[in-house]
This record gives sequence, structure tokens and C-alpha cells, in this order.
Amino acid sequence: MSDNTHQHRPNALSRFTAWLMHHLQSLVFSLGKAYRSPSATLMTVAVIAITLTLPSGFYLLLKNIQTISGDLRSSTQISLFLDMKLSLENALQFNTQLQQRPDIATTQFISRTQALTEFKQSSGFGKSLDHVKDNPLPHTIIVSPASQLDTLAIKTLLSKLESLAEVDIAKLDTEWLEKLFTIVEIAKRSVIIISLLFSFAVLLIIGNTIRLDIQNRYQEIVVTKLIGATNAFIRRPFLYSGVWYGLFGGLLSWLIIELSILVLSGPFDSLNLLYQSQFTIISFSFSDFLIIICCSTLLGLAGSWLAVARHLNEIEPK
Amino acid sequence: MIQFHNITKRYPGGYEALNNVSLNLQAGEMAFLTGHSGAGKSTLLKIISLIEKPTRGQAILNQINLNNLPNSRIPYIRRNIGFIFQDHQLLFDRTVFDNVALPLIIQGYHHTEIARRTRAALDKVGLLHKEKSLPITLSGGEQQRVGIARAVVHKPMLLLADEPTGNLDPVLSREIMQIFIDFHQVGVTVLVASHDLSLIEELQKPVVTLNRGKIIHNDLEPVDV
Ligand SMILES: Nc1ncnc2c1ncn2[C@@H]1O[C@H](COP(=O)(O)OP(=O)(O)OP(=O)(O)O)[C@@H](O)[C@H]1O
Ligand SMILES: [Mg+2]
Repeated sequence: MSDNTHQHRPNALSRFTAWLMHHLQSLVFSLGKAYRSPSATLMTVAVIAITLTLPSGFYLLLKNIQTISGDLRSSTQISLFLDMKLSLENALQFNTQLQQRPDIATTQFISRTQALTEFKQSSGFGKSLDHVKDNPLPHTIIVSPASQLDTLAIKTLLSKLESLAEVDIAKLDTEWLEKLFTIVEIAKRSVIIISLLFSFAVLLIIGNTIRLDIQNRYQEIVVTKLIGATNAFIRRPFLYSGVWYGLFGGLLSWLIIELSILVLSGPFDSLNLLYQSQFTIISFSFSDFLIIICCSTLLGLAGSWLAVARHLNEIEPK
Repeated sequence: MIQFHNITKRYPGGYEALNNVSLNLQAGEMAFLTGHSGAGKSTLLKIISLIEKPTRGQAILNQINLNNLPNSRIPYIRRNIGFIFQDHQLLFDRTVFDNVALPLIIQGYHHTEIARRTRAALDKVGLLHKEKSLPITLSGGEQQRVGIARAVVHKPMLLLADEPTGNLDPVLSREIMQIFIDFHQVGVTVLVASHDLSLIEELQKPVVTLNRGKIIHNDLEPVDV
């Protein structure tokens, strides 16, 4: 408007600090508002948290399955039964050759006599086998493939080893592993779908909460618009409310999962004891934690933005 | 300050609240707007404060044509107007001080400046001692005065009041009107819509009278073409 009105207006710098101040005020104000109506806030945050717990819980489950299957893969071994005509020296030499291959991590050599002794001990036939003159067992080498090899590479290694003259039979049981990997792949995609669906649900929950909030403060919005508030000014506290909902929802869901892991780890330990395994439940890494919190906060912002864009501009003084 | 050129306002439904109204309120003037209930007083004020758009004709506020103003500019135009409502429209979840400070917060004043001006405005309406009260604890007259303090705190060039004394007794009404006259005396343009004919007569200011959307009496200068 005319120049005389600009004289007592704040200058650009102080307007910027005021803008910053209003952001801070909105931030604190929306937090204070949440604090003043604790039960309503808690309910919304709990709904958001539970909704978020499902996808992040599934993600964690998947992560655990992947690690376990990874362990299994690295424990994959190929048994090489050597040619019966091979002498002990030649067999040992062959073993050293194998050890130098880059696609093999370690080998374990079991000589014919060793194999027989072990068999006697473990089979319980002990004495009766003493009468067997000719040892029917070949020299055996247990090969652990290099850890970076995937299923396909392991299969290639297997056929390569089998084609060697020294090797009579090479054996690997991979079928069930492949099945497991397929299942993991399916689970991975399910987690993505579930995450998308539940993120959408969080978006709707927050959007609806903010919509109700806007309706409750209809009068205030009308008055501030009449006094000359811009849409951005009116929008701000609502957007920050959404951010808080998202942030606290994310934190609570993280807490829920950590507690669930605590509850599950007891029985898991006894399982380990029974099977003499060393599986431990993997919890969220710090970057997982950050991703969850960032995603939930962003969802909060997006949800409130949707509500604000749809409902705030509709409100005009009458 | 305010110029209406043949303004007609037809509400959806076809009712013509204003019919070919022309008006010229100069900067620094103070005038009353009267007329029976439904005559179109509020509609006229709403056009000035950009709440309603005229169906026909041109409304000009301080050389700015209000007809085809982009929505994004509306807030900034409104900051030059102090609006006083019959039902004062205070926000009941915050203190008197916070209510009055709102226009300054919206416009981004520094907080020390906000405190200074808010107290000055409250002092002007005699309510400085109530700054920490909640509006609900105030009497009707006090609430109306808080509304006035909020309308003038940012020193607008134009003060619009829609039946500011509608709910008040004669003594309080006179007090409120006196506050408007004080502002007029320091150079603010004032337009007050009111039913209170006896009080208006007493104050001896120019009067514009509406009847069914038409001006039937106008003490102001005619619109220059
Ligand atoms: N939003 C609206 N939609 C339709 N008609 C309306 C609207 N607002 C006002 N009117 C009509 O326009 C006419 C003028 O209304 P206005 O509020 O301007 O009168 P007024 O002079 O302020 O009356 P009062 O003294 O009772 O406040 C009335 O007949 C009213 O019914
Ligand atoms: Mg009216």
C-alpha cells in the first residue's frame, strides 16, 4: 500500500528473525498443545506407532532371516571323495593345490584310515569292522567355498571340482538353500508392499487428526486471516503438529520393537542352547533407527500437508 | 481512502445487499454508517475488508483497486485495516495480551516492540492491568475494548467497526465511541456501522444511511469522477 504505512513496518532482517521466531514458536506451541491434551495426543501417537511397528517389525524379521541364511550359506561345504587309487602323498598334494585356489576358503583333509577310525567310533560297529581287511573308504576333502561366492558360483565350483581327475564324487546339498533364498526374496517384496501400505495408513491417520484440529480451530483461523495472516503463517503450527506426531510415533514404534526383542530373546537363547547354535536376534542398527525416525517424521509432515492443503484454504472469513 | 464506484453486491441466491452504491471517505475522515437491519452495512464493510467481492462496480482502498486483487496480496492489504466486530472475536484460549499482540506477531515484529506496542494499546483502552487475564473473565465492555486494542495495535490507517456497541449499555457505548474519536483525532480514518441513532446524532460526525442496499443519505463529499 502507500509508503506511509511502511514506515513503522519491521525491516527485512528483523522480519527474517521474526519468521525464524515464528517457526520456533510454532514448533514449541504445537508441542505444548500436544502436552496440554495428553490423552488425545497419546492415542494418536500410539495408533501411529502400532501402524509403524508392523512394517519395521517385518523388516527386522527379514533382516534376521537374511543373516541366518547368510550364515548357512557360508557354512555350505562340498565333500570331495577322492579316487580310490590315489596314494596318501598324492592326495595330500592335491589338498594343498586346492587350498591355493581363490574360490576356496579352507579345506579339511580326512585320510582313509582317519575316516575308518571315525566311522568305527561313530557307527558303533567298532569291533566287527576290525575284521574288514580292505578299507572301503576313500580319502576325503571337505571344501569350504570362499565366502563371497553366491549359490550359482558354488555350483560352478562344484562341477569344476568334480571334473578333476583326482575327484571321484563331489557332493553338495543346495536344494533347500535355494528354497530358503526364494522365500527370503518373497519376504523382501512383502515387506516393501507392507511398508507402502502402512505408510499410507500413517499418512491418513495424521491427515485426519490434523483435519479435526483445523476444524476445532476454525474460529481462530478465521480471525487470524482477518487480521492479515498469510496462509503460510496459519499453516505452520499444523505442519509442526504433524511433524511431532510422526516423530513421536516413530520413536514409540522403535521402543515397542526393542521391547519385543527383549521379550523374545529369552526363548531364543534356550533354543540356541538346545541346538548348540549361536544365532542372536539382530536389533535395529543406528542407521535403521534413523531411517525409521526420518520416514515417520516425513510421513507426519506429508500427512499434515495434505490436510492443510485440502482444508485450510477452504476456510475464509464470512 | 475508500472509494466505491457504483457497487452492487448480489449474494448467491440473488439477494441484492448493495445496489449501485457510490461513496467517498477521505483519509483522516470519520463517518457513521447507519440503516435498518439488513440494509447492507456489514456487506459494505466486508467489501472493504476483502471478505466479499462486489458483483459490479469498483471498490478502491487507498488507490488500490480491490476488484482483481490476487489472493496472495489480500493479507497484506488487510494489515492496513483495523477491524472491530460486534462480537469482538477474541481467542479464548490465550490471554488478553496475546490476543492484542496477534497482529504484530503476524507481521513479524520484534518481541520487545510487540510488548511495548501491546501495552500501549491496552493502556489506551484502559485495560493494562488485565493483560494477563483470559478474555472469558472480562465483562462485555472490557472484551470489546480488548477487540479495539487488537484492531489498533499495529497502527492501521483505517479503522472499520461493525456495530461495536451493539451489546453494550449507553454509558459503555459512549466510552467506546470516544475511543474511536480519539483515534480519529490522531489522523486515523474511521468508519463505524451502528444502529444507535441518538448516540450518532450526539457525536456530530458525517453519516451515511443505507436503505435496502441503497444510499438514502450521505454527508460525505461526492465521488470525484
Ligand atoms: N452470505 C450471505 N449470503 C446471502 N445473503 C446474505 C449474506 N450475507 C448477508 N446477506 C443478506 O444481505 C442483506 C444485507 O446484509 P448485511 O449483513 O449487510 O446487513 P446489515 O445492514 O449489516 O444488517 P444488521 O444491522 O442486521 O447487521 C441481508 O438481507 C442478508 O440477509
Ligand atoms: Mg451487520
